[in-house]
Amino acid sequence: MFEIEIFNKKGFKNSHGEHVLSDIFELAIRDITKVEYSPLYFIDGDINLSEAKMIAVELLSDKITESCTVRRYSDLNSKTVNLHMLSASVIEVCYRKGVTDTVVESVMKAVKDLGIDKDIKVRAARKYYLYGTVSKTVLNIIAIKLLANTLVQEYKIK
Amino acid sequence: MKSTTNCKIIEILNLSDEQLVELSRKNVLSLSLVEMKAVLDYFKKLKRNPTDVEMETIAQTWSEHCKHKTLTGIIEYTEEESGKKTKRTYNNLLKETIFKATVELNKEWCLSVFEDNAGVIDFDSENGVAFKVETHNHPSALEPYGGSATGIGGVIRDILGVGLGAKPLANTDVFCFGDPNTKASKVPEGMHHPKRIAKGVVSGVRDYGNRMGIPTVNGAVCFDEGYMANPLVYCGTMGIIPKNKIEKKVNSGDLILVVGGRTGRDGIHGATFSSIELDTESDVSAVQIGNPIVEKKVLDTMLKARDLNLYRAVTDCGAGGLSSAIGELGEKTGAVVHLDKVPLKYDGLYPWEIWISEAQERMVFAVPPENKKKIVEIFKKENVEAVFVGEFTNDGKLILVYNGDVVTSMDMSFLHGGIPKSTRPAVCKIKEEKVQKPVKMNSSEIVEVLKASLADLNVCSKEWIIRQYDHEVQGQTIIKPLQGNSIEVSGPGDAAVVLPYTVVKGIKKGVVLSNGLNPQYGKINTYKMAASAIEESLRNAVAVGADVEKISVLDNFCWGDPSKPEILGSLVRAANACYDMSKAFGVPFISGKDSLNNEYSIGGKKYSIPPVLLISAMGVIENVANTVTMPLKNKGNKIFVLGSTRNELGGSVLAKIKNIKTGVVPDVYPEESKVLMKKIYQAINKNFVESCHDCSDGGIAIAISEMAFASGKGVNINIDAVEVEIKNPLTVAEILFSESNGRFIVEVKPENEATFIEILNGSVFAEVGYVSDETKIVFESKKTKILVQEQLEVLLNAWQNTINW
Repeated sequence: MFEIEIFNKKGFKNSHGEHVLSDIFELAIRDITKVEYSPLYFIDGDINLSEAKMIAVELLSDKITESCTVRRYSDLNSKTVNLHMLSASVIEVCYRKGVTDTVVESVMKAVKDLGIDKDIKVRAARKYYLYGTVSKTVLNIIAIKLLANTLVQEYKIK
Repeated sequence: MKSTTNCKIIEILNLSDEQLVELSRKNVLSLSLVEMKAVLDYFKKLKRNPTDVEMETIAQTWSEHCKHKTLTGIIEYTEEESGKKTKRTYNNLLKETIFKATVELNKEWCLSVFEDNAGVIDFDSENGVAFKVETHNHPSALEPYGGSATGIGGVIRDILGVGLGAKPLANTDVFCFGDPNTKASKVPEGMHHPKRIAKGVVSGVRDYGNRMGIPTVNGAVCFDEGYMANPLVYCGTMGIIPKNKIEKKVNSGDLILVVGGRTGRDGIHGATFSSIELDTESDVSAVQIGNPIVEKKVLDTMLKARDLNLYRAVTDCGAGGLSSAIGELGEKTGAVVHLDKVPLKYDGLYPWEIWISEAQERMVFAVPPENKKKIVEIFKKENVEAVFVGEFTNDGKLILVYNGDVVTSMDMSFLHGGIPKSTRPAVCKIKEEKVQKPVKMNSSEIVEVLKASLADLNVCSKEWIIRQYDHEVQGQTIIKPLQGNSIEVSGPGDAAVVLPYTVVKGIKKGVVLSNGLNPQYGKINTYKMAASAIEESLRNAVAVGADVEKISVLDNFCWGDPSKPEILGSLVRAANACYDMSKAFGVPFISGKDSLNNEYSIGGKKYSIPPVLLISAMGVIENVANTVTMPLKNKGNKIFVLGSTRNELGGSVLAKIKNIKTGVVPDVYPEESKVLMKKIYQAINKNFVESCHDCSDGGIAIAISEMAFASGKGVNINIDAVEVEIKNPLTVAEILFSESNGRFIVEVKPENEATFIEILNGSVFAEVGYVSDETKIVFESKKTKILVQEQLEVLLNAWQNTINW
């Protein structure tokens, strides 16, 4: 399985992150100083690294404004992430199993359109990097009040 | 009929009344005891118990959402005014008010009313235009993004499912949200913050509507703390349909074709769910998730199949899913459906789940057997899934089969005609409205109130929302939602005008869409609220150049629990206003919908939403070149206030800002207004009008300010010249902020002034000022020595900065 994460290139606004930050302020939480948002995809199936990279570069990211990382699931603990992000708390949000995820449906179809005619499974998630020192309780509040609708979504704090 | 691993027999034959009620509650059937007893009697005659599929089928078909059983049931209404009581029994409120007005008006240009998925009126010799507005309130409360997206997706399918299918041309959206400035700590546990709901709803409608390639051209947003946990999400779609495609008829032997999205567990119990109140533990599976890409492909392919006459009938899978869609199409014939043939998103669905799932983007067609191959080819070419699941029969029975077992065998006549009529009491005690103590303000206080009014959530710019929607796609939008000199400077348009030139070549005719609603009035007087909403929708359309004689309207009631007599009584009053106004203005209702039980529980206590009636208007404009916008055009032009200003501050923006508890809610005087509207149409068509703006929320001061800052042109207004009611004299503040209906602000070139006055002869109007070459507005009353002055930029900022999320 591969994990593909999309980042904004330096110099391009992470506007979704900025909106989340402003919403966090409205919750009267002042200790978060910056939020970065990254779309995240998990692709499982009979594909190799170069195909995963092709999917990441050609399909899931915008070459002008975004960069991406592609990692095998087994390598996820390796320190290939951006170092500055290590200081952030991370909240990942995705749909609960059984809830229709139209992004996933579109990715699966588009992968076939790219010429990769293999059986794959895709899961999409939203990853938020929150900078600042806050407790896990506060992160839970942020997740529940702003980032995840627990009726149809689940979240993980990392 | 036997119990299998997939289908259960439900024991009802030996149940007591209490047990029947408990069975309904436990299975989210939303059936009353009387209805459960009717089911019991039916199966007693059949000498067997029903299956779970049969119980679910009955519950969906008889749901409030599908049958509108409150408004079509018996209502024993008592009205009390000044100690006098009058009683009336309605056997079918809809038929005796709204529908009755349409029948009595008998407009020849109404082509299909209250009988299909949308109302259709005449457009030109070859085409009609269809309009439908739906609500998706409860799903949007639970999952704002998914709930609202499927709201717009669903109403688009209503347009695809009217007649043999109309091509969607424009969307509209109207939302009612709680106060976005509510402190997070005041939001009850388990409920979303109003701002989160608002953002989610806006995003959902945006993502679905934009991806469908349909412009969102008109709408409104209303905020009130009463909608905190129960937002209202109205979505509308207008489309064009060839006149020879308006009729549909299913023949026995026609095959049942399901097209579009696959069926999943999403949306189970949506129809019955809409009949119950919200609480913090509402049913998760009632949330639907939409996929606009699939629906777009269905749209494109089905219109090809329509033009090749490959099917005889179509309808959308909305509330109740296949159960409602096939049930409706096969009502007169009967149908056999093989549930195991329905394409599924994943394994493990029970037959009843397949049958009632409200999975999105599905349409059901009745296809003559000889077209079987051709129609599937059309869908296949565009990768649209199309599967035959059964056929329409001639025995009047609904037969459902799953893996060879018959899991349902019921008479269509029982399903559609067996629902017992409910009898409900309704009470309305009409409150006496008193004119407030004179509202006296000096010049600087008026300036502050003017800015506060412009910044008020219900008046301020909704640009943050509007600009997220594509209102230009298809390239046919002539009058757009924001109007002004530049992107940075704009004012609120009154109505949208669409020129469907890509469908009908070489035409000048357009379609005008507008709306009217004001829940603040409904808190005091639902009759006046409904009447005002109707007039406001007409004024908005007339303000851009529509002919009031060629406008039709749609009603959308959102109310609380109708089992409470006071709540149902207030609804009866509103329905009566619909009849009275429809008749008086000569404007027929062509379609409508009600969403009841808009209540929610917090800590065991029930709260009802402020009742609201949305009126959506659609008309045909003969020549789109003869339309006007609201920004002022040129300095030196004269400004007129048309219509009479009365002391009507009940429910107004001023009353809210100044905390005025009394006041008279604006009434409607159709005999004055209609004549005036006809004269405005005449003047606009003769090009005597440079700009025109409806005068509603916030009154004259707001309307004129909006016209001024939208254009960047100043005005000088003589308040003393405004025509006011003599009976209840008004102060300057009351003249500026009264919200009397029946008024327009009109800009006229000096050289056209005499002819314009001639046209208006006999109506109430006054020339009140002129467009100046300064960048400020001036309201002056020499009589009272009041001089209100403010820079346009200051007013524009006040208007623009409230919602800038």
